[in-house]
This record gives sequence, C-alpha cells and structure tokens, in this order.
Amino acid sequence: MKYNEAIQQKGFYFVLPTLVIYGIFLIYPMLSAFHYSFFKWNMISESKFVGLKNYIRMFGDRRFWNSYYTTFHFTLISILIIIIFSFLLALLFQEKMMLKNFFQSSIFIPVILTMVAIAVVWQFMLQSTGVFSNIFLDIFGINIKWLTSKSITPYSMILVNVWKITGYYMIIFIAGLLNVPQIYYEAAKVDGASYLQRLFFITLPQLKNTFILAFVSGVIFSFAAFPQQYVMTEGGPARSTEVLALLIYKQAFEFTKFGYSSAISVAFFITLLVFSIIQFKIFQSESTY
Amino acid sequence: MFLFPFFWMVVSSFKPTSEVLAIPVNILPKNWQLDAYTNLLNYSEYDFSRYFLNSLIVTFFAVLLAVVLCTTAGYGFAKYNFKYNNLYFIIVLSTIMIPFQAIVVPLFILMKNLGLQNSYLGLIIPESLTAFGVFLMRQFFYSVPDEIIESARIDGASEFRIFWNIAVPMAKTAIFALIIFHSQWVWNLLLWPLIIISSPEMRTIPQAIALFSGVYFTPYPEQLAISVLACLPLLVIFIFLSKNFTKGITLTGLK
Repeated sequence: MKYNEAIQQKGFYFVLPTLVIYGIFLIYPMLSAFHYSFFKWNMISESKFVGLKNYIRMFGDRRFWNSYYTTFHFTLISILIIIIFSFLLALLFQEKMMLKNFFQSSIFIPVILTMVAIAVVWQFMLQSTGVFSNIFLDIFGINIKWLTSKSITPYSMILVNVWKITGYYMIIFIAGLLNVPQIYYEAAKVDGASYLQRLFFITLPQLKNTFILAFVSGVIFSFAAFPQQYVMTEGGPARSTEVLALLIYKQAFEFTKFGYSSAISVAFFITLLVFSIIQFKIFQSESTY
Repeated sequence: MFLFPFFWMVVSSFKPTSEVLAIPVNILPKNWQLDAYTNLLNYSEYDFSRYFLNSLIVTFFAVLLAVVLCTTAGYGFAKYNFKYNNLYFIIVLSTIMIPFQAIVVPLFILMKNLGLQNSYLGLIIPESLTAFGVFLMRQFFYSVPDEIIESARIDGASEFRIFWNIAVPMAKTAIFALIIFHSQWVWNLLLWPLIIISSPEMRTIPQAIALFSGVYFTPYPEQLAISVLACLPLLVIFIFLSKNFTKGITLTGLK
C-alpha cells in the first residue's frame, strides 16, 4: 500500500452525498414499489394488505398483457430498424461526398428536438388532413389511417421513434468505424478482398461491442417510451399503443390504483433486469474468445 | 427527408390557421405572419413565459446538482481506496437498471410526504440523478495520474483543494459532455413533471405543450409556435457546440 490508510478513508466523504441521495430517491422508492405492490391503496382510504392479489390480477389482465406485447413490439422493431439504418448511414458517411456535414447534421437534429414538441408536430402531420398523409396519398395513391387504425398506428409510433433517434446511433457507429485500425483494411486490400468481404470479415467483427452497446441502450431507451404515446395517441386506437409506462401512469394517476400500478412497475423492472442479465451473460461469454 | 418535419414545424408556425389546415397542402406560407407567436402571450390559462422560466430554473439546478454529485462521487471512487469502495460503487451503478417509470409511484408518495409536491426542489432532485454520470466521471478520473495528487499532498494541500484545483480542471471535457447530455435530458422530461406538478404556475414547458395540445384537436399554428420555442434552446446549443455534441456522444456512448 502506497498511501497511508487514513487518507484513503477520506474518499468516503466524497462519495457520501451521492450514496445518501441515490439511496433515498432511487433505491428506497424501488424497494417501496415491491412493498406497495402487496397492498390495495388509492391514497384516500386506508391501505389494505392483499398479498399476491395484485399480481394474480395482473397475470389475468388482458390490458396488462396487451401493454407488455405493445412495448416489446415497439422496442424490438424500432431497435432493429434503427441499428441497421444508422449503421448503413455511418458506412455511407465514410465515403467522400458533397455537403457531408450538412447531411450529418440534418439526420442528427431530431435527436436534440424536444420529444413532446416533436410528438405534437408528427401528430399534425399524420392526421387524415395532415401534410404527411396528403403527400403520401399524392405519391402512392393510398390513404393510410396513420393514427386511427389499430394495425397501422403502432408502426406510426415506430416511424417517429426511428426518425427521432437514428442520428444518435449514427454518430456512435461513425465513432466506432473510426476506431477500426486502418491497417486491417490496407492489408485486406493487398490480399484482394472485395468491399463486402472487408465489411463482413473486418468491419462487423470489429464493431461487435458497438453493436451490443447500441442494442442494450436502445432497448432500455425504447422500453421506457412515454411522451410520444401520451401526446400522440394516449394509448389508442383500441389500446394498440398503450405501452407499459403509459399503463403504469394511467393505473396510478387516472384510476388511483397505486398498489396495482406498483405491481406493474415491479414487472417492468424485472423484465429489464432479466434482459440486462442476459445481455451481460452474452457479453461475457463472447469476450472470453 | 429527415429535416422535413422540423422544417414544416418552423414554417407552419408562421402561417395563419386556415393555411395550416388547407388542402391541398401548401408547404410554404403564402403570407408570413407572427400571429401565432404573439397569440401565445395572450392565453389567460397558459402563462408560457413562466413555464419557460420554470424549465430553465429546473434544468439549471438539476444539471448543477448532477455535476456536483457525479464529480465528487466519481473522484472518490476512482482515487481513494476506502473501505467497501467497490461495494458502494456497485450499489450506485446498479441504479442504472432502475427504470424511472418503475419508481414514479413510490417516488411521488415520498415527495408528497416530504412536502415537495409543486416545488422546484421536487422536480430538481429526482431529475439530477444519473448513475451513468457517476460511472462516466469515475472512468475519467482514473486517467488523472496518482503522482500529481500525491505531490500536492506533500505540498500540504487539503483533499478538497486537490479535487477542486487539480482534478476538476483536468476533467473539463467529461464534465462538459455530462452538462450537455444531462441538460438535454432534463429539459425534455415529461412524465415526472406531469406527476409531481399539479398547480398551473409550476408547469414545465414539455408539460405545458402536452396539455395545450390535448385541449385542441385541430392543429393550430400556436401549438407549432410553442413547439419551435421549446426546441430552440437546445438547437442553439447544438449550432454553437456541434463538435462537442458529437464528441460528447462518443465519449458517453463508448467509454
């Protein structure tokens, strides 16, 4: 030990405020969510212990399963499109082109726009009288009910999500591509490897960590989607866009079922936890190569 | 294609109502006018300048608190070998996995019991928490050489002075990235203000827009005008600091 023991212990005082505040405002509420999920409670009358009743009810609640499915559907499809799309854009921006900075910035701008504002704008554009619907009708001759059809509206939500965050992942992939040592490509070129061969045998394996990171953060981000659905559809039509965050909000603050809402929160938390553990395991086993 | 919705939002906010609704669509306004913006000041039940002020205050202090907590904790974790260092770090880091949506109900009850409903503090504290920021700063402080700290100690500097005068200036880039990303995050939040704020004068901008757009079903240029204004601060930051922005993403995204 190079440093004397007393000084080392002083580090604790640097960490203490964070420990206290995170403990009170993050960890304690999470534990409380578990606690409340065993109670029936509406904030007005006395809370009543109901054991597993909230969970039993949740497992039989079609509205809950609908939200669960909606959230997964929204998350997975969004992420797949976003990752492929942003990776292709990053590849494209490796090439020399005119107005490269302008194009890059325009793709990035949606990232920094306020989600609520964007949701309002897209809502206007996608309405049956909106500009997007009309342009689409003019070009393709199809009148699509972007916001009023049970089968299409979930995809309108995905469209907005993709539009909003593709630019973020594009930047991450551009940075990832810059980190691939140029010497690999030069060696491959000398060996006569084609563009596709270089892509599949050098670029993709080298960017594995970037892909994993993009996937994990993308899932966590999209899984928590709320403002977009709250503003654009309020979960409709026919609850086809009622994601879990929106359901938790409605159960607690519209129907004042705090206990039941907490049970859904716990399910939400455990789902993300299981997902993170699986990711972590995959990540670990892959990095042992 | 990516810019179109943004473009449409901006130009349409200068149209009269009849043109926003017009079919066939005309993209550019026939006669540009500022009515939508001036009208925003005339709603009796919406005080938008107050909401802007609220959002600015909350964003400023939430980011400030985040920076203070993340730098001190990051430094403590990176540069000291105190008892249970690793355990504490894992506890803080594990809060990354707590989705905010999962704790809103208990957090609301906690804040209500603390009497922080409808207060700036009630908005600021939860919005300043970012375990990711702690992680980022810890990684960054690892790169500050121990020798510099040690020689300052020999010169008789206190632990806090070493942190403040030596370590913090060296971590400028990381702190800057944290500021940019956290302010963007706080400025845009909707769920927490919706829950903790019920009195009209305490609303934040995103909350006000959500309410404002919920009342009227048809598009009004006023709704677009306020959306443009809400996006403006972050856009200005982006235009002036676009280099730092992308650098910030790669720093926060990859390290």
